[in-house]
Amino acid sequence: MTDRSQLRDRARGCLLGLAAGDALGAPAENLTPAEIRRRWGRLTEIEGGGTDDTEYAIFAASLLVRHGHGLTSHDVEQAYREEIVPLATGPMRGAGFSELGTVEALRRGLEPPLTGLAHQHGWSDGLAMRAAPYGIFCPGDPAEAARLLEQDGRVSGSGEGIAGGRAVAGAVAAAMAGAEPRDVVQAALSVIPADSWTARNVVRVCEVLAAGGPRGRGAEAVEALHEAVVVRHYPWTDVAPEAVALALAAFLAGDGDVEESVTFGVSLGRDADTIGAIAGAVAGASQGEAGVPARWAARIGPVTGKCLPVVAGRHVLDTAEQLVEGL
Amino acid sequence: MSGDRIRGAFAGLAVGDAAGWPAGRHRSALHAPWSRRLYRELDAFAEEHRVTTLPVPFALNQPVAPLRIGPSDDAEWLAWTALTVHRPRAEAFRELTDVRARISVATALDNLAKGVEPPASGHDNPHHFDDAAAIRAVAYGVIGRDPTEDAQVTNALDGVLGARAMAAAVAAAVASGRIGPAIEAALAVLPPGTAIGHNARAALEAARAAGDPFAAVPALDAALLDHVYSYGVGAAQTVPVALALAEAAGGELSRAVPAAACLAPVADSAPALTGALAGACGGFDAIPEGWIASARTLAGCCLPDLAGRDLIEVADTLTEGIA
Repeated sequence: MTDRSQLRDRARGCLLGLAAGDALGAPAENLTPAEIRRRWGRLTEIEGGGTDDTEYAIFAASLLVRHGHGLTSHDVEQAYREEIVPLATGPMRGAGFSELGTVEALRRGLEPPLTGLAHQHGWSDGLAMRAAPYGIFCPGDPAEAARLLEQDGRVSGSGEGIAGGRAVAGAVAAAMAGAEPRDVVQAALSVIPADSWTARNVVRVCEVLAAGGPRGRGAEAVEALHEAVVVRHYPWTDVAPEAVALALAAFLAGDGDVEESVTFGVSLGRDADTIGAIAGAVAGASQGEAGVPARWAARIGPVTGKCLPVVAGRHVLDTAEQLVEGL
Repeated sequence: MSGDRIRGAFAGLAVGDAAGWPAGRHRSALHAPWSRRLYRELDAFAEEHRVTTLPVPFALNQPVAPLRIGPSDDAEWLAWTALTVHRPRAEAFRELTDVRARISVATALDNLAKGVEPPASGHDNPHHFDDAAAIRAVAYGVIGRDPTEDAQVTNALDGVLGARAMAAAVAAAVASGRIGPAIEAALAVLPPGTAIGHNARAALEAARAAGDPFAAVPALDAALLDHVYSYGVGAAQTVPVALALAEAAGGELSRAVPAAACLAPVADSAPALTGALAGACGGFDAIPEGWIASARTLAGCCLPDLAGRDLIEVADTLTEGIA
């Protein structure tokens, strides 16, 4: 494969993996690992469509296609004002607190970074779930992927939400260049502050997996990962430091294999669709399109726009093609 | 005289705590669990039958005392802080067992148990932004001490700034008896580029334009509350509400606290913070006697060891040698 065709292959694998992980994890969201095992054993077959993760990733990619490396927070803010805020009149399905809080902050006339600071969900994994296109756009350059992601992130997130997004963008950028799984996780750590909740959690899950040995993917590993990073006394699961660490743990536990990584990630429960989407994106970039099980890829059609009407009808593979054209 | 204002800060916080509707919910923790389960079932009944007759906390085969007007979580955590203020903070928190607390505090206690020390215990915390530390900071404010070490155990960023602002404002109010210096002291520690700093200035502007605490209620709702998130104890909302309403009331508790209690989403803690500021301005003697009588005895609904303690006597332990 030429370099260019390889990048194209990895980009397609990345976004197919993201969409597949999102769809696979959707019915497991907010279930306990024990309940997931009771219902499905291992959840391996996609039951329905994807959620906000895929639609927001397509939206993020559209920003990169339009603005390239010159993308600024102002561009992102304008896109929100023109393409999201006017359509958010009725129920905003699938949107997390951070997206709704950002819409309300924009309506109150605030500008970034206050739009990401003024609501209470700055640490949402809403940015991490749509970070993959930034990694695709910057193959082999985690720092640039993280910088661009942050332009997006400052509009709707803050603090650990931005750190979580940067980590995923950096991981995908490294995977796009063929880095080994361990180096992909190192790339994620290299673009976030060591003194951050996200970094501490990523280090913790690496330690848990190292202690569990190469076969540590069963219920015991699930429990140990939960013990290491899950916030016990909190009802919401979309906490970026938690979801990103669990997704990278799944990628490591699956040794970069798409199906292994994603099914293990989804077995962790919590924000299972986002964990699946992140693990799928990183593993998909690592393995390319052929790494995504054909039966999963066959289930991925154009998105419906149920969460983000502006992207209705778009397909992740078209998005991947557009991103690669801009390289 | 400063002793009267220190007592005023404590009593004012307890009065505000008691005035907010969530106090009854917190105090009903003293009832048997099944009575709260019935409450949830009646909520579901109202939903199912489309009746607008909403259930209120009630006592069925249970003592009614917890449901009388009285202080709840915030007054108890203030008392605990005053009683432990001279101890190393992480050490004091580590000794807590069998307590009910905000999400920030519950997570911080988990973090401490896992060996995650401050400031990470307050930072690696989904509710690092809440006002648990701002409530505790009233104890630091009355003795003119920096609340940061205490705040960082359970909070970070806006949560710590909220504590610094409350301590600074209470210290200035205790020293001067006036709300103006208190507001200035709070703003001085709240950077405009933070959510809490931005909101504090927006809230003051909105309340000044309205001209009166009660008149300011809708303006504060529009300026500060996005109604998106599930828990209304964010320091970036409650501390600005307290500053704005205490100022609009000219430091008068009887005008400031009722307005804060009208902002339903933040009624858990904004009235308490408002009461602490106004109480520190006007002093203990300016607070209506009936309210003090109802609010000074702790229920033990969060910190069971404090059941029956008199909050004003606890405040007096801080003023020995001052007043």
